[in-house]
Amino acid sequence: MLFSRSGDAGLDELIADRLDKSGPPGLAADLVLAAMLGDDELAATLSDTEGTGPATPASESTSTAEEPAHLYLQSIIVEGFRGIGAQAALRLQPGPGLTVVAGRNGSGKSSFAEAAELALTGENKRWSDRAAVWKEGWRNLHTAGDSKITVELAEDGQQGTIRVTRDWPAGAALDGVASYVQVPGAPRKPLDTTGWSAPLELFRPFLSYSELGALVSGKPTEMYDAMQAILGLDQLVSAERRLTDARKRLDDPSRQAAKALPALRAQLASHSDERAREAEAALARKPWDIETIEALAIDADASGDPHVGRLAQLAAITLPPPGTATLAIDDLLAARHRVAALTGTRSSDARQLAGLLSTAVAHQASHPGEPCPVCGGLALDEAWAEQALAEIKRLSELARDADDAQAQLDAATRAVRNLIGGEPAVLSADLGTALDASAAREAWRGWADLTSAGSGDPLLDAAGAQFTAVTAAITQLQKQAAAVLDQRRQAWRPVAAALAGWAEMARSSLRADATLTEVKKAITWLHAAGQDIRDARMAPFAALSAEIWSMLRQESNVDLGPVRIVGSGPRRHVTLDVTVDDVAGAALGVMSQGELHALGLALFLPRATTPESPFRFVVVDDPVQSMDPAKVEGLARLLARVGQDRQVIVFTHDDRLPEAIRRLQLPATIWEVSRREHSVVELTKNDDPVRRYLDDARAMARTDELSEGIRSVVVAGYCRNALEAACHEAIRARRVRAGRPLADVERELTQAQKLRQVVGLVLFDDMEHGGQVADRLRERYGQSAVNAFIAAKDGTHGAFQGQLPRLVEETARLAGALRS
Amino acid sequence: MTSDELLGEADRLLTTVVPGSRGRWPRCCAWLIRLALEQSLDEYWARVLPDAAECSMRAQLLLLPRYADAHTAEDATEAWLGLARVTHHHAYDLAPTAAELRRWHELVRSITAELRASDGQPASPESELAGA
Repeated sequence: MLFSRSGDAGLDELIADRLDKSGPPGLAADLVLAAMLGDDELAATLSDTEGTGPATPASESTSTAEEPAHLYLQSIIVEGFRGIGAQAALRLQPGPGLTVVAGRNGSGKSSFAEAAELALTGENKRWSDRAAVWKEGWRNLHTAGDSKITVELAEDGQQGTIRVTRDWPAGAALDGVASYVQVPGAPRKPLDTTGWSAPLELFRPFLSYSELGALVSGKPTEMYDAMQAILGLDQLVSAERRLTDARKRLDDPSRQAAKALPALRAQLASHSDERAREAEAALARKPWDIETIEALAIDADASGDPHVGRLAQLAAITLPPPGTATLAIDDLLAARHRVAALTGTRSSDARQLAGLLSTAVAHQASHPGEPCPVCGGLALDEAWAEQALAEIKRLSELARDADDAQAQLDAATRAVRNLIGGEPAVLSADLGTALDASAAREAWRGWADLTSAGSGDPLLDAAGAQFTAVTAAITQLQKQAAAVLDQRRQAWRPVAAALAGWAEMARSSLRADATLTEVKKAITWLHAAGQDIRDARMAPFAALSAEIWSMLRQESNVDLGPVRIVGSGPRRHVTLDVTVDDVAGAALGVMSQGELHALGLALFLPRATTPESPFRFVVVDDPVQSMDPAKVEGLARLLARVGQDRQVIVFTHDDRLPEAIRRLQLPATIWEVSRREHSVVELTKNDDPVRRYLDDARAMARTDELSEGIRSVVVAGYCRNALEAACHEAIRARRVRAGRPLADVERELTQAQKLRQVVGLVLFDDMEHGGQVADRLRERYGQSAVNAFIAAKDGTHGAFQGQLPRLVEETARLAGALRS
Repeated sequence: MTSDELLGEADRLLTTVVPGSRGRWPRCCAWLIRLALEQSLDEYWARVLPDAAECSMRAQLLLLPRYADAHTAEDATEAWLGLARVTHHHAYDLAPTAAELRRWHELVRSITAELRASDGQPASPESELAGA
């Protein structure tokens, strides 16, 4: 069978298989799979840097295991929508077969096609993309009340009717309501809960005229998108888009960081101090020295600037608090008083005397009672020894006291001297122009002079004042230094903020870089795999397309080779290998509109008739436009062939397709749509024009609503049309059998205007034999045939007076004879 | 039947759902309007130029500018060509639309009125030349 082929696996499974066999390692493979599954999955995989394992394909991917239910259209009932006012119904035989609905432009036929598509795919984005004119004008002008679409479907092998309804109360917007579906024996539920939307999107059983045009004559990207949708490759496109978006997002920080650099550099350049130079140097390094930038941003004083170090040293100078100084000076004063109180007491004399006496006492102990060896006078007896010992004790204490007072004085003097240490080197260093340390230095040196001079009264008198002077000078200097530092920090703060912000960007760009590499790998891989899959997907379609094209091309000198969809992003397009007169590489531009439409159909049908589709119908709106007669014939054959195992519903704006179907005797049901004033739309079966005219003549002959005179006119008109149609059929069949081109036959038929000429063509093969028509008719078919001929010829001019039912039957006989 | 009756019936078919005319009214309408045009011309020629009634419609339309005004003749030609096309069977044509029928109906109604008002005096030499 032409329109069946092996089922294709879900795209994500296909990708998963390929990843197993030849995918990139690690994260990139996970990214591809996640991108196939959706935005959330990809986001999760991207944020999941630990990589907890690859995502698995969702189970709801296209199942190939079981044959889906087969759905056929049973009727399309429309009210108050587009060109249809009062309720009108298109009844269809639910099952394979070709139905053609013919109606002049504006008859409301396309409204049926659009209504069915809208009811079933109303949630589809394509509707919201429609022009505002369409969206505002969708309600029929001649209905004040509700608008309603009902699509009835039959499921093969199941009883009952599935009803899909979309019902707009007065005033509701086109997209303001949802479609509901009712399956027999089940409650009504929203259509989007049925799971139909995915197959409807994938297999797209609807092809509108505008899409047919866009398929081949639109922008290359539009054609690509339309093809993608037809081939069901949307998932692949979405995955590619997701990855590209991710790459853009990941690339963003690094691009932002690079983009922010010039402004940052300018800000640094306008900043005079050393930190700015350091930051500049860090930014000039490759890769950027982000640590230094961060250090400069976080700690405003972090810098190699020597001034800043000295300012810090200044701040570190500590002096004892004034209370400590006062105490030290008081101690010194007390020590001085004590020493003064012991003035005259020579502690060494006392100690010497005590020594002498000690020696004398020792001598006395060995020479008791002997006279003093020093003076030789007084005898040194016990009483003397006792006295001498007491004297030794007194003298020793006296000496110790004097020593102690001296030591106390020395300590107090030292303590005062040590109140202020050596002069800090920083006071003599270069502190920049903002600070003057000379006063502090002078005060400090004054102190040093004072304290080194000795321990006399001058120290005691001046120490307090000098200490205060040093403290004041240093405090002053430190205040100034703090102010300088603060000012410096203030000036740096905006730069620091800018550096911090930039460092953040640079950091996240570093973090993103690793992932970015993986995403890029994933993109490259998916592009290559995607092209393979596209080609593979395309192959069976391309073969079918070529086959369909060969049916439709007829006399076209255009050959269709492999169709490929290539490229991505703004460069995506479809390449059709079109050969004109055996010259390859021809552009689509050389093809006629009719050929382009035929090509569009050749691209559409294979998808819509995929075996996996539960929708066993295809609805095609006006494929005939701008096709020449030969191509219409090919189209008729093609549609009939598709109709062998699919329900094919074709809307067409003229009678060329029905005519071709009738002429080729293809099985089909043909409806004619007409629209009265006030949008009253009526459908009439129109399989065979001769029979239709005769049926109409019979019906009008019975219409009591009209007067006899009026009826005569219209019945005669139908009779004439019936004879004309019978003759056209006979002539066309004869000419085509003889191998004459259809276009020539049509020209000939157009020239034969009068009934006499048309019948003449049948009887004599010459329209100029009109005068002999009546005689020949009588000869061949008898007088009643002549009566019918004359009544039909003149009746429309109001001449017929006879029995109308009889006229119709005579005409029927004559028509049958002429066409046989 | 007068052209007024025919036009009245055509209008009825066009604007109301006459039982039995479902899907058939377009062609029925076309025949009635066409016949109304023929009747109006017949009446006119009977009054103005009896011999002309025997001529083919094509000849009548060529004669018309010489007797009636050029504008009416143009309208008559447009209506006739349109009606002749849809009242014959053509392989690729479907029945006429309501809008087409309404247009021809208007044309024939105004042609009928114009022809009735016309005195049928042969027109000035200029338009005679133009008509030839």
